[in-house]
Amino acid sequence: MITEARKLAKETPRRGFLKSAGIGVGGLVIGAAVGAMAAPLISPPPPKAKFADMPSAGTKIIHGMDAAYPPFTEIDPTGKAVGFDIDVVEWMAKKYGWEVEHKPWEWGAIITAVLAGDLDFVASGMTHTAARAEKVWFSVPYYSYIHQLLVLAEETRTRDEILNSGEYVAVQLGATSDEWAEKLLKKGFNFKKLGLDSYELAFKAALDGRAVAVISDSAFTVPYFKKQPDVAAKLRVLSTIGGDFTYAYATRVGDYGLRNAFNHALEEIMASPEWQDLKDKWGI
Amino acid sequence: MTAVWEYLPYITWGVAWTFGLVGGGLAIGFMIGLPIAIGQIHGSEEIKALLEAYVWFFRSLPLLVLLFLFYWGVFPATGFKLDPLACSIVVLGLRSSAYQSQIFRGAIISLGEAQLLAARALGMTRLRAVFHIVLPQALRISLPGWSNEYAIMTKDSAITFALGVLEILTRTRYVVMATHEPLLPYFFAGGLFIVVTYGGTKIVNVVYERTRIPGLVGRM
Repeated sequence: MITEARKLAKETPRRGFLKSAGIGVGGLVIGAAVGAMAAPLISPPPPKAKFADMPSAGTKIIHGMDAAYPPFTEIDPTGKAVGFDIDVVEWMAKKYGWEVEHKPWEWGAIITAVLAGDLDFVASGMTHTAARAEKVWFSVPYYSYIHQLLVLAEETRTRDEILNSGEYVAVQLGATSDEWAEKLLKKGFNFKKLGLDSYELAFKAALDGRAVAVISDSAFTVPYFKKQPDVAAKLRVLSTIGGDFTYAYATRVGDYGLRNAFNHALEEIMASPEWQDLKDKWGI
Repeated sequence: MTAVWEYLPYITWGVAWTFGLVGGGLAIGFMIGLPIAIGQIHGSEEIKALLEAYVWFFRSLPLLVLLFLFYWGVFPATGFKLDPLACSIVVLGLRSSAYQSQIFRGAIISLGEAQLLAARALGMTRLRAVFHIVLPQALRISLPGWSNEYAIMTKDSAITFALGVLEILTRTRYVVMATHEPLLPYFFAGGLFIVVTYGGTKIVNVVYERTRIPGLVGRM
Protein backbone atom coordinates (compact mmCIF):
# COMPACT_ATOMS: atom_id res chain seq x y z
CA MET A 1 0.00 0.00 0.00
CA ILE A 2 2.76 2.38 1.06
CA THR A 3 4.83 1.35 -1.95
CA GLU A 4 1.90 2.06 -4.25
CA ALA A 5 1.35 5.47 -2.67
CA ARG A 6 5.01 6.30 -3.16
CA LYS A 7 4.85 5.20 -6.79
CA LEU A 8 1.75 7.36 -7.31
CA ALA A 9 3.42 10.34 -5.62
CA LYS A 10 6.45 9.91 -7.90
CA GLU A 11 4.33 9.70 -11.04
CA THR A 12 2.04 12.65 -10.22
CA PRO A 13 4.43 15.50 -11.15
CA ARG A 14 5.29 13.80 -14.45
CA ARG A 15 1.59 13.37 -15.24
CA GLY A 16 1.03 17.03 -14.37
CA PHE A 17 3.92 18.01 -16.64
CA LEU A 18 2.63 15.86 -19.49
CA LYS A 19 -0.84 17.36 -19.07
CA SER A 20 0.56 20.90 -19.16
CA ALA A 21 2.68 20.04 -22.20
CA GLY A 22 -0.37 18.52 -23.92
CA ILE A 23 -2.45 21.63 -23.24
CA GLY A 24 0.43 23.81 -24.50
CA VAL A 25 0.84 21.87 -27.76
CA GLY A 26 -2.94 21.76 -28.27
CA GLY A 27 -3.11 25.52 -27.74
CA LEU A 28 -0.35 26.10 -30.28
CA VAL A 29 -2.10 23.93 -32.89
CA ILE A 30 -5.46 25.66 -32.38
CA GLY A 31 -3.76 29.08 -32.39
CA ALA A 32 -1.93 28.29 -35.63
CA ALA A 33 -5.16 27.06 -37.27
CA VAL A 34 -7.11 30.18 -36.22
CA GLY A 35 -4.22 32.40 -37.32
CA ALA A 36 -4.00 30.71 -40.72
CA MET A 37 -7.76 31.17 -41.26
CA ALA A 38 -7.72 34.79 -40.11
CA ALA A 39 -4.59 35.77 -42.05
CA PRO A 40 -6.32 36.49 -45.38
CA LEU A 41 -8.80 38.79 -43.56
CA ILE A 42 -6.18 40.90 -41.87
CA SER A 43 -3.28 40.76 -44.36
CA PRO A 44 -2.16 44.22 -45.50
CA PRO A 45 -2.09 44.95 -49.24
CA PRO A 46 1.09 43.66 -50.89
CA PRO A 47 3.89 46.25 -50.95
CA LYS A 48 4.98 47.76 -54.25
CA ALA A 49 7.57 45.56 -55.98
CA LYS A 50 11.21 46.64 -55.58
CA PHE A 51 11.73 47.20 -59.30
CA ALA A 52 8.19 48.00 -60.42
CA ASP A 53 9.81 50.99 -62.13
CA MET A 54 12.90 50.84 -64.28
CA PRO A 55 15.97 50.81 -61.97
CA SER A 56 17.86 54.09 -62.36
CA ALA A 57 21.59 54.43 -63.05
CA GLY A 58 23.68 53.59 -60.01
CA THR A 59 21.11 51.14 -58.61
CA LYS A 60 22.62 47.99 -57.12
CA ILE A 61 21.08 44.81 -58.52
CA ILE A 62 21.95 41.32 -57.31
CA HIS A 63 22.36 38.69 -60.01
CA GLY A 64 21.83 35.08 -58.92
CA MET A 65 23.88 32.46 -60.73
CA ASP A 66 24.81 28.80 -60.62
CA ALA A 67 28.62 28.88 -60.53
CA ALA A 68 28.72 25.28 -61.77
CA TYR A 69 27.05 25.77 -65.15
CA PRO A 70 29.70 26.44 -67.77
CA PRO A 71 29.84 28.07 -70.22
CA PHE A 72 26.83 30.16 -69.16
CA THR A 73 27.95 30.90 -65.60
CA GLU A 74 31.16 29.67 -63.97
CA ILE A 75 34.11 31.07 -62.05
CA ASP A 76 37.67 31.92 -63.09
CA PRO A 77 40.79 31.14 -60.99
CA THR A 78 40.33 34.32 -58.96
CA GLY A 79 36.77 33.35 -58.05
CA LYS A 80 35.33 35.98 -60.40
CA ALA A 81 32.08 35.09 -62.17
CA VAL A 82 32.57 34.55 -65.90
CA GLY A 83 30.52 33.04 -68.73
CA PHE A 84 28.13 33.87 -71.52
CA ASP A 85 25.36 35.07 -69.21
CA ILE A 86 27.84 37.13 -67.17
CA ASP A 87 29.06 38.93 -70.29
CA VAL A 88 25.50 39.75 -71.35
CA VAL A 89 24.53 40.96 -67.86
CA GLU A 90 27.70 43.11 -67.74
CA TRP A 91 26.76 44.57 -71.11
CA MET A 92 23.32 45.49 -69.74
CA ALA A 93 24.80 46.94 -66.55
CA LYS A 94 27.00 49.20 -68.69
CA LYS A 95 24.06 50.17 -70.90
CA TYR A 96 21.80 51.15 -67.99
CA GLY A 97 24.50 52.29 -65.55
CA TRP A 98 23.56 49.67 -62.95
CA GLU A 99 25.89 48.23 -60.38
CA VAL A 100 25.45 44.45 -60.68
CA GLU A 101 26.73 41.99 -58.09
CA HIS A 102 27.09 38.39 -59.34
CA LYS A 103 26.19 36.07 -56.49
CA PRO A 104 26.67 32.28 -56.72
CA TRP A 105 23.70 30.42 -55.26
CA GLU A 106 22.71 26.78 -54.90
CA TRP A 107 20.61 26.01 -57.97
CA GLY A 108 17.86 24.18 -56.11
CA ALA A 109 17.27 27.21 -53.88
CA ILE A 110 17.75 29.97 -56.42
CA ILE A 111 14.09 30.79 -57.11
CA THR A 112 13.32 30.81 -53.40
CA ALA A 113 16.20 33.27 -52.95
CA VAL A 114 14.73 35.57 -55.62
CA LEU A 115 11.32 35.46 -53.95
CA ALA A 116 12.88 36.10 -50.53
CA GLY A 117 14.78 39.14 -51.87
CA ASP A 118 18.28 37.67 -51.42
CA LEU A 119 18.68 37.90 -55.20
CA ASP A 120 17.01 40.28 -57.66
CA PHE A 121 17.09 38.11 -60.77
CA VAL A 122 18.51 34.91 -62.22
CA ALA A 123 20.43 34.80 -65.51
CA SER A 124 22.17 31.45 -65.49
CA GLY A 125 20.85 29.22 -68.22
CA MET A 126 17.44 28.98 -66.58
CA THR A 127 14.85 27.11 -68.60
CA HIS A 128 11.49 28.81 -68.93
CA THR A 129 9.07 26.17 -67.59
CA ALA A 130 5.42 26.34 -66.65
CA ALA A 131 6.15 25.38 -63.05
CA ARG A 132 8.74 28.15 -62.63
CA ALA A 133 6.51 30.68 -64.40
CA GLU A 134 3.97 30.24 -61.60
CA LYS A 135 6.50 31.77 -59.21
CA VAL A 136 8.60 34.24 -61.23
CA TRP A 137 8.35 36.42 -64.30
CA PHE A 138 10.48 35.47 -67.29
CA SER A 139 12.08 37.74 -69.88
CA VAL A 140 12.00 37.11 -73.61
CA PRO A 141 13.90 33.89 -74.47
CA TYR A 142 17.53 34.28 -75.51
CA TYR A 143 18.73 30.74 -76.15
CA SER A 144 17.03 27.55 -77.28
CA TYR A 145 18.10 23.95 -76.92
CA ILE A 146 16.78 20.45 -77.32
CA HIS A 147 17.03 17.24 -75.30
CA GLN A 148 18.98 14.34 -76.70
CA LEU A 149 19.47 10.66 -76.04
CA LEU A 150 23.19 9.90 -76.30
CA VAL A 151 24.77 6.45 -76.46
CA LEU A 152 28.25 4.99 -76.99
CA ALA A 153 29.44 5.36 -80.59
CA GLU A 154 29.44 1.59 -81.12
CA GLU A 155 25.87 1.10 -79.82
CA THR A 156 23.69 -0.65 -82.41
CA ARG A 157 20.30 -0.71 -80.68
CA THR A 158 17.46 1.64 -81.61
CA ARG A 159 16.03 4.31 -79.31
CA ASP A 160 13.07 2.13 -78.24
CA GLU A 161 15.30 -0.89 -77.65
CA ILE A 162 17.56 1.21 -75.39
CA LEU A 163 14.62 2.71 -73.47
CA ASN A 164 13.11 -0.77 -73.01
CA SER A 165 16.35 -2.56 -72.16
CA GLY A 166 15.75 -2.47 -68.39
CA GLU A 167 19.26 -0.98 -68.02
CA TYR A 168 20.42 2.32 -66.54
CA VAL A 169 19.94 5.61 -68.37
CA ALA A 170 21.89 8.48 -66.77
CA VAL A 171 20.48 11.98 -66.19
CA GLN A 172 21.41 15.05 -64.18
CA LEU A 173 19.35 15.12 -60.99
CA GLY A 174 16.86 17.99 -60.82
CA ALA A 175 17.55 19.06 -64.40
CA THR A 176 15.08 18.96 -67.28
CA SER A 177 16.69 15.68 -68.41
CA ASP A 178 15.56 14.22 -65.09
CA GLU A 179 12.00 15.39 -65.82
CA TRP A 180 12.22 13.75 -69.25
CA ALA A 181 13.32 10.46 -67.76
CA GLU A 182 10.31 10.56 -65.41
CA LYS A 183 7.96 11.35 -68.29
CA LEU A 184 9.33 8.44 -70.34
CA LEU A 185 9.00 6.05 -67.39
CA LYS A 186 5.40 7.17 -66.88
CA LYS A 187 4.72 6.47 -70.54
CA GLY A 188 5.70 2.85 -69.87
CA PHE A 189 9.28 2.64 -71.10
CA ASN A 190 11.31 0.08 -69.21
CA PHE A 191 14.68 1.43 -68.03
CA LYS A 192 16.27 2.40 -64.71
CA LYS A 193 17.06 6.05 -64.06
CA LEU A 194 20.57 6.80 -62.83
CA GLY A 195 20.39 10.32 -61.31
CA LEU A 196 23.80 12.01 -60.98
CA ASP A 197 25.08 15.39 -59.84
CA SER A 198 25.98 16.73 -63.30
CA TYR A 199 25.79 15.95 -67.01
CA GLU A 200 29.52 15.41 -66.94
CA LEU A 201 29.12 12.56 -64.46
CA ALA A 202 26.24 11.18 -66.54
CA PHE A 203 28.57 10.99 -69.57
CA LYS A 204 31.25 9.40 -67.41
CA ALA A 205 28.74 6.76 -66.30
CA ALA A 206 28.03 5.91 -69.94
CA LEU A 207 31.75 5.77 -70.80
CA ASP A 208 32.38 3.51 -67.77
CA GLY A 209 29.57 1.17 -68.81
CA ARG A 210 27.40 1.97 -65.78
CA ALA A 211 24.67 3.39 -68.03
CA VAL A 212 23.67 2.47 -71.59
CA ALA A 213 22.57 5.99 -72.48
CA VAL A 214 22.44 9.59 -71.27
CA ILE A 215 19.58 12.04 -71.54
CA SER A 216 21.26 15.41 -71.93
CA ASP A 217 20.48 18.81 -73.41
CA SER A 218 22.24 20.50 -76.30
CA ALA A 219 22.90 23.62 -74.20
CA PHE A 220 25.38 21.56 -72.22
CA THR A 221 26.43 18.97 -74.79
CA VAL A 222 27.42 21.29 -77.66
CA PRO A 223 29.97 23.44 -75.75
CA TYR A 224 31.09 20.47 -73.64
CA PHE A 225 31.90 18.35 -76.67
CA LYS A 226 33.84 21.26 -78.20
CA LYS A 227 35.99 21.35 -75.07
CA GLN A 228 36.22 17.57 -74.72
CA PRO A 229 36.69 16.12 -78.23
CA ASP A 230 37.91 12.78 -76.83
CA VAL A 231 34.58 12.31 -74.99
CA ALA A 232 32.64 13.51 -78.04
CA ALA A 233 34.38 10.87 -80.20
CA LYS A 234 33.14 8.05 -77.95
CA LEU A 235 29.48 9.13 -77.87
CA ARG A 236 26.82 9.88 -80.44
CA VAL A 237 23.32 11.34 -80.48
CA LEU A 238 20.84 8.51 -81.01
CA SER A 239 17.75 10.71 -81.15
CA THR A 240 16.26 13.95 -79.93
CA ILE A 241 13.55 13.97 -77.27
CA GLY A 242 10.63 16.41 -77.29
CA GLY A 243 10.63 19.96 -78.63
CA ASP A 244 12.68 23.10 -78.07
CA PHE A 245 13.23 24.59 -74.62
CA THR A 246 14.39 28.14 -74.02
CA TYR A 247 16.49 30.03 -71.49
CA ALA A 248 15.27 33.32 -70.09
CA TYR A 249 15.99 35.70 -67.21
CA ALA A 250 13.79 35.34 -64.12
CA THR A 251 12.65 38.27 -61.97
CA ARG A 252 10.22 38.58 -59.07
CA VAL A 253 6.57 38.89 -59.98
CA GLY A 254 5.79 42.62 -60.05
CA ASP A 255 9.29 43.78 -61.02
CA TYR A 256 7.85 45.17 -64.22
CA GLY A 257 10.55 47.79 -64.73
CA LEU A 258 13.41 45.34 -64.36
CA ARG A 259 11.88 42.74 -66.64
CA ASN A 260 11.13 45.35 -69.32
CA ALA A 261 14.69 46.62 -69.14
CA PHE A 262 15.95 43.04 -69.67
CA ASN A 263 13.54 42.48 -72.57
CA HIS A 264 14.62 45.63 -74.43
CA ALA A 265 18.31 45.04 -73.77
CA LEU A 266 18.12 41.39 -74.85
CA GLU A 267 16.34 42.28 -78.08
CA GLU A 268 18.92 44.96 -78.76
CA ILE A 269 21.98 42.78 -78.18
CA MET A 270 20.47 39.77 -79.98
CA ALA A 271 19.99 41.98 -83.07
CA SER A 272 23.62 43.10 -83.00
CA PRO A 273 26.75 41.33 -84.31
CA GLU A 274 28.03 41.28 -80.73
CA TRP A 275 25.60 38.46 -79.93
CA GLN A 276 27.24 36.05 -82.34
CA ASP A 277 30.66 37.15 -81.11
CA LEU A 278 29.66 36.25 -77.57
CA LYS A 279 28.23 32.90 -78.67
CA ASP A 280 31.45 32.14 -80.53
CA LYS A 281 33.53 33.22 -77.54
CA TRP A 282 31.77 30.74 -75.25
CA GLY A 283 31.29 27.99 -77.86
CA ILE A 284 27.48 27.85 -77.74
CA MET B 1 41.18 26.28 -70.97
CA THR B 2 42.66 27.66 -67.73
CA ALA B 3 45.04 25.27 -65.97
CA VAL B 4 43.58 23.55 -62.92
CA TRP B 5 46.42 24.60 -60.60
CA GLU B 6 45.52 28.24 -61.18
CA TYR B 7 42.26 27.57 -59.32
CA LEU B 8 43.93 26.16 -56.22
CA PRO B 9 44.13 29.52 -54.36
CA TYR B 10 40.38 29.92 -54.95
CA ILE B 11 39.74 26.51 -53.35
CA THR B 12 42.13 27.37 -50.50
CA TRP B 13 40.03 30.41 -49.60
CA GLY B 14 37.29 27.94 -48.75
CA VAL B 15 39.28 27.14 -45.59
CA ALA B 16 38.19 30.51 -44.17
CA TRP B 17 34.53 29.56 -44.70
CA THR B 18 35.12 26.10 -43.23
CA PHE B 19 36.69 27.72 -40.15
CA GLY B 20 33.68 30.03 -39.92
CA LEU B 21 31.31 27.06 -40.04
CA VAL B 22 33.28 24.98 -37.55
CA GLY B 23 34.11 27.85 -35.19
CA GLY B 24 30.54 29.12 -35.15
CA GLY B 25 29.11 25.63 -34.85
CA LEU B 26 31.40 24.62 -31.98
CA ALA B 27 30.72 27.89 -30.13
CA ILE B 28 26.94 27.48 -30.38
CA GLY B 29 27.31 23.81 -29.50
CA PHE B 30 29.34 24.70 -26.41
CA MET B 31 26.95 27.41 -25.23
CA ILE B 32 23.95 25.09 -25.50
CA GLY B 33 25.69 21.77 -24.81
CA LEU B 34 27.16 22.68 -21.42
CA PRO B 35 23.87 23.80 -19.84
CA ILE B 36 22.25 20.67 -21.28
CA ALA B 37 24.89 18.48 -19.59
CA ILE B 38 24.37 20.25 -16.25
CA GLY B 39 20.60 20.01 -16.65
CA GLN B 40 20.76 16.32 -17.48
CA ILE B 41 22.68 15.61 -14.26
CA HIS B 42 21.27 18.12 -11.80
CA GLY B 43 17.89 19.04 -13.31
CA SER B 44 14.42 17.91 -12.28
CA GLU B 45 12.81 14.86 -13.87
CA GLU B 46 10.85 17.06 -16.30
CA ILE B 47 13.93 19.00 -17.40
CA LYS B 48 15.87 15.76 -17.82
CA ALA B 49 13.07 14.33 -20.01
CA LEU B 50 12.98 17.47 -22.16
CA LEU B 51 16.75 17.58 -22.59
CA GLU B 52 16.85 13.89 -23.41
CA ALA B 53 14.28 14.47 -26.16
CA TYR B 54 16.38 17.37 -27.52
CA VAL B 55 19.57 15.30 -27.55
CA TRP B 56 17.78 12.31 -29.03
CA PHE B 57 16.29 14.46 -31.83
CA PHE B 58 19.56 16.07 -32.95
CA ARG B 59 21.58 12.88 -32.64
CA SER B 60 19.07 10.79 -34.60
CA LEU B 61 18.66 12.87 -37.74
CA PRO B 62 21.25 12.92 -40.54
CA LEU B 63 22.94 16.30 -40.91
CA LEU B 64 21.65 16.79 -44.45
CA VAL B 65 18.07 16.24 -43.27
CA LEU B 66 18.59 18.78 -40.48
CA LEU B 67 20.05 21.32 -42.92
CA PHE B 68 17.13 20.99 -45.33
CA LEU B 69 14.60 20.88 -42.48
CA PHE B 70 15.82 24.15 -41.00
CA TYR B 71 16.71 25.97 -44.24
CA TRP B 72 13.53 25.07 -46.11
CA GLY B 73 11.12 24.45 -43.27
CA VAL B 74 11.72 25.72 -39.77
CA PHE B 75 13.32 29.12 -40.46
CA PRO B 76 10.96 30.22 -43.26
CA ALA B 77 7.94 29.00 -41.25
CA THR B 78 9.02 30.97 -38.17
CA GLY B 79 9.82 34.13 -40.14
CA PHE B 80 13.60 34.02 -39.71
CA LYS B 81 15.50 35.00 -42.83
CA LEU B 82 18.84 33.27 -42.57
CA ASP B 83 21.24 33.01 -45.49
CA PRO B 84 22.79 29.58 -46.22
CA LEU B 85 25.95 30.30 -44.19
CA ALA B 86 24.12 31.50 -41.07
CA CYS B 87 21.61 28.64 -41.32
CA SER B 88 24.43 26.10 -41.66
CA ILE B 89 26.27 27.50 -38.61
CA VAL B 90 23.10 27.34 -36.52
CA VAL B 91 22.28 23.78 -37.61
CA LEU B 92 25.87 22.58 -37.06
CA GLY B 93 25.73 24.27 -33.64
CA LEU B 94 22.42 22.71 -32.60
CA ARG B 95 23.56 19.28 -33.68
CA SER B 96 26.93 19.69 -32.01
CA SER B 97 25.25 20.84 -28.79
CA ALA B 98 23.61 17.41 -28.55
CA TYR B 99 26.96 15.64 -28.96
CA GLN B 100 28.95 18.11 -26.83
CA SER B 101 26.40 17.77 -24.01
CA GLN B 102 27.18 14.06 -23.82
CA ILE B 103 30.94 14.74 -23.77
CA PHE B 104 30.52 17.20 -20.86
CA ARG B 105 28.01 14.95 -19.16
CA GLY B 106 30.46 12.03 -19.19
CA ALA B 107 33.24 14.26 -17.86
CA ILE B 108 31.07 15.61 -15.03
CA ILE B 109 29.88 12.14 -14.03
CA SER B 110 33.47 10.83 -14.06
CA LEU B 111 34.33 13.28 -11.27
CA GLY B 112 31.97 11.51 -8.93
CA GLU B 113 29.63 12.83 -6.27
CA ALA B 114 32.27 13.16 -3.54
CA GLN B 115 33.73 16.49 -4.68
CA LEU B 116 30.29 18.04 -4.93
CA LEU B 117 29.41 16.83 -1.43
CA ALA B 118 32.72 18.16 -0.06
CA ALA B 119 32.02 21.56 -1.61
CA ARG B 120 28.53 21.57 -0.09
CA ALA B 121 30.06 20.62 3.28
CA LEU B 122 32.29 23.71 3.00
CA GLY B 123 29.15 25.81 2.70
CA MET B 124 28.96 26.30 -1.06
CA THR B 125 25.57 26.33 -2.76
CA ARG B 126 24.94 23.57 -5.29
CA LEU B 127 25.27 26.07 -8.19
CA ARG B 128 28.56 27.53 -6.88
CA ALA B 129 29.93 24.05 -6.33
CA VAL B 130 29.12 23.11 -9.92
CA PHE B 131 30.68 26.27 -11.38
CA HIS B 132 33.75 26.51 -9.12
CA ILE B 133 34.60 22.88 -8.37
CA VAL B 134 33.02 20.57 -10.96
CA LEU B 135 33.19 22.49 -14.25
CA PRO B 136 36.86 23.60 -14.12
CA GLN B 137 37.85 19.95 -13.84
CA ALA B 138 35.18 18.52 -16.12
CA LEU B 139 36.03 20.90 -18.98
CA ARG B 140 39.68 19.82 -18.84
CA ILE B 141 38.74 16.16 -18.79
CA SER B 142 36.41 16.64 -21.75
CA LEU B 143 39.04 18.22 -24.04
CA PRO B 144 40.09 14.95 -25.77
CA GLY B 145 36.46 14.14 -26.58
CA TRP B 146 35.91 17.71 -27.61
CA SER B 147 38.84 17.61 -30.06
CA ASN B 148 37.14 14.60 -31.61
CA GLU B 149 34.00 16.71 -32.03
CA TYR B 150 36.11 19.38 -33.78
CA ALA B 151 37.46 16.80 -36.24
CA ILE B 152 34.00 15.38 -36.93
CA MET B 153 32.45 18.79 -37.45
CA THR B 154 35.24 19.90 -39.79
CA LYS B 155 34.53 16.95 -42.04
CA ASP B 156 30.75 17.27 -41.67
CA SER B 157 30.90 20.95 -42.63
CA ALA B 158 31.49 19.86 -46.24
CA ILE B 159 27.86 18.79 -46.47
CA THR B 160 26.79 22.44 -46.42
CA PHE B 161 27.72 22.44 -50.12
CA ALA B 162 24.10 21.32 -50.52
CA LEU B 163 23.04 24.87 -49.58
CA GLY B 164 25.79 26.48 -51.69
CA VAL B 165 27.93 27.69 -48.78
CA LEU B 166 31.28 28.64 -50.33
CA GLU B 167 33.39 26.29 -48.22
CA ILE B 168 36.09 23.98 -49.55
CA LEU B 169 33.88 21.36 -51.26
CA THR B 170 31.51 23.85 -52.94
CA ARG B 171 34.46 25.73 -54.43
CA THR B 172 36.06 22.48 -55.54
CA ARG B 173 32.86 21.48 -57.27
CA TYR B 174 32.76 24.79 -59.14
CA VAL B 175 36.35 24.30 -60.23
CA VAL B 176 35.69 20.75 -61.42
CA MET B 177 32.79 22.05 -63.50
CA ALA B 178 34.89 24.89 -64.94
CA THR B 179 37.92 22.77 -65.79
CA HIS B 180 36.34 19.32 -66.38
CA GLU B 181 39.20 17.96 -64.30
CA PRO B 182 38.15 16.18 -61.09
CA LEU B 183 41.34 14.47 -59.86
CA LEU B 184 43.57 17.37 -58.79
CA PRO B 185 40.82 19.62 -57.31
CA TYR B 186 39.30 16.83 -55.17
CA PHE B 187 42.76 15.60 -54.16
CA PHE B 188 43.72 19.13 -53.15
CA ALA B 189 40.43 19.59 -51.24
CA GLY B 190 41.14 16.33 -49.38
CA GLY B 191 44.58 17.66 -48.48
CA LEU B 192 43.08 20.88 -47.12
CA PHE B 193 40.68 18.91 -44.92
CA ILE B 194 43.57 16.82 -43.58
CA VAL B 195 45.54 19.97 -42.71
CA VAL B 196 42.57 21.68 -41.06
CA THR B 197 41.53 18.57 -39.12
CA TYR B 198 45.03 17.55 -38.05
CA GLY B 199 46.14 21.11 -37.26
CA GLY B 200 43.06 21.91 -35.18
CA THR B 201 43.25 18.64 -33.26
CA LYS B 202 46.94 19.28 -32.50
CA ILE B 203 46.09 22.74 -31.12
CA VAL B 204 43.42 21.26 -28.84
CA ASN B 205 45.95 18.64 -27.69
CA VAL B 206 48.42 21.38 -26.74
CA VAL B 207 45.70 23.15 -24.74
CA TYR B 208 44.86 19.84 -23.07
CA GLU B 209 48.48 19.15 -22.10
CA ARG B 210 48.85 22.65 -20.66
CA THR B 211 45.66 22.52 -18.64
CA ARG B 212 45.81 18.83 -17.70
CA ILE B 213 45.40 18.02 -14.01
CA PRO B 214 48.33 15.71 -13.13
CA GLY B 215 47.17 12.53 -11.50
CA LEU B 216 43.52 13.04 -12.42
CA VAL B 217 43.70 12.32 -16.15
CA GLY B 218 46.36 10.74 -18.33
CA ARG B 219 48.38 12.06 -21.24
CA MET B 220 46.88 12.04 -24.73
